[in-house]
Amino acid sequence: MKTGKQLVNWLDTVLREFEGVQLRHSGRTRLRVDVGADALPALLELLQGLGSYVHLSAISCVDWIDDDEFELVYHVWSYELLSLVSAHIRIAREPGTYLSIYDLYKPAAFFERDIHEMFGVFFEGSPDMEKFILTEWDGPPPMRKEFDTRKFVHDTFGWQDYNPQWLQALKDRGGGIVK
Amino acid sequence: MRPENYQAVSQPPSHEFELNIGPNHPGIEGNYALKIKVEGDMVVAAKADAGYLHRGFEKLMEGRLWMQNIALVPRICVPDPAPMEICYALGVEALGGLQLPERAQWLRVMQLELSRLAAHLFYFGGVAATMGMYSNMFWGVADRDLILDLFEAFTGGRVYSMYNVPGGVRRELPDDFLGRLGALLDYLESRLPDYDRLFFSNYVMLQRTRGTGSMTQQQALEWGVTGPNLRACGLAFDVRRDDPYLVYDQLEFDVPTETAGDALSRILVRRNELLQSIRILRQVAAQLPHVAGPVRCPIPNPLAWNIPPGESYTRVESSKGELAYYCVSSGGDMPWRVHVRGPSQMHAVQVLENLAVGARLEDVAQIIFSLDACPPEVDR
Repeated sequence: MKTGKQLVNWLDTVLREFEGVQLRHSGRTRLRVDVGADALPALLELLQGLGSYVHLSAISCVDWIDDDEFELVYHVWSYELLSLVSAHIRIAREPGTYLSIYDLYKPAAFFERDIHEMFGVFFEGSPDMEKFILTEWDGPPPMRKEFDTRKFVHDTFGWQDYNPQWLQALKDRGGGIVK
Repeated sequence: MRPENYQAVSQPPSHEFELNIGPNHPGIEGNYALKIKVEGDMVVAAKADAGYLHRGFEKLMEGRLWMQNIALVPRICVPDPAPMEICYALGVEALGGLQLPERAQWLRVMQLELSRLAAHLFYFGGVAATMGMYSNMFWGVADRDLILDLFEAFTGGRVYSMYNVPGGVRRELPDDFLGRLGALLDYLESRLPDYDRLFFSNYVMLQRTRGTGSMTQQQALEWGVTGPNLRACGLAFDVRRDDPYLVYDQLEFDVPTETAGDALSRILVRRNELLQSIRILRQVAAQLPHVAGPVRCPIPNPLAWNIPPGESYTRVESSKGELAYYCVSSGGDMPWRVHVRGPSQMHAVQVLENLAVGARLEDVAQIIFSLDACPPEVDR
């Protein structure tokens, strides 16, 4: 019977079998794994099946617009080893498609749908890629870095002068709203 | 809500009806909708409908200084805002390599547990109201208000405290605060027998919630259930104990569990957590006079504070389950990316859609409330 520490060491050894994998421990309970996009499903299957990482805590997406890439981070937790693995992959911003991991982790449905809606990444095999939060938004995916919120507001909405009587009285006394 | 998207559509004759529970409905917490299909009073399909509270927090945070975002994050979950600001602050501290003073850690635990108490009292009121028991709702809200008085005393804000800054908390406790805290804990503990008689041993409540919205531990794990909802399925996991942060590893508390995985179990787990939070707060009140030192560490000028490039994934146990922040810095004075992982993103969508199917129409509101889902956490 392996102890928790032995299991983690064993897992390190197994993970190093993946081509090009990079491991970085931080603290007792955190492990960052950088791996090629092709190898991620196999890595997660191994983590879940052999390492008991059964809880998908989150999938995070980061837009690295200067590199023309999206970074997808899969955070999985093991209730037995009490450790969190964050598996990082990079995919091209265009066409921005990747494989769903719904078959392995059911909670992926929410995170993949959210990333599709906010960043425009399409996950093949995900059960529902329909809009969820921005049902009536027909602009570009708003979390992409090129979407400028302030510009959108300036272009879309008109400005109204706000100068009620009480504010005018304040201005007359040398006060006003701090800009 | 554009009218052209909601025109009546002619359907073939059927025994099924489509009903919208929400977005404004007494049986749902916040603006959120569950579109259900019923045959008779039996639910045969359910689809969550979110977006009514979307304010674009994650995008807004990318355009504000690290420090400014403290004012934004508590608004992501109205009933339990403290874990939001503390989880975010922990993320920034991890990125910036800040050492949190010990006294600030104890003060944060106090804020977190007071917030948990307030959220659970709010929850008891809400879940009781779905069964027509309004006395419990008024009691819960009134007792929660006493906790908000304490928040006002030591943070300045009743709901959105904004008490934390990366590196610590804003100010020291006012004079005689610990005396007020002790008196409130005594009062809340004395109220529990009243709550037990009124609600937790109420025959109507027991009959309505036993077996309602049940899930097995296996299903809970598959659907990503966390927090009290997972503990109601028999798994004694709590981030505070099993992946500790702040000074939780120095505190003694139990992790209450139930085994049935139904609405009743979810309610009872929270009822027992109330006692554990009181127990933790008593330890904090006893310890604080012996922990000297500053309440925050020195930080650079917050208006020109470039955080080194890197990433952090911090987790805390909120009153609803596992709350996590993924913060990424590209070396600038604003976050490059902040991803908020709220427990309700599972509980209010996938879990609710699954549990509603097969339930009776009159039980749907109880299932929603018993999961303690927080819609703004889904929308962000």
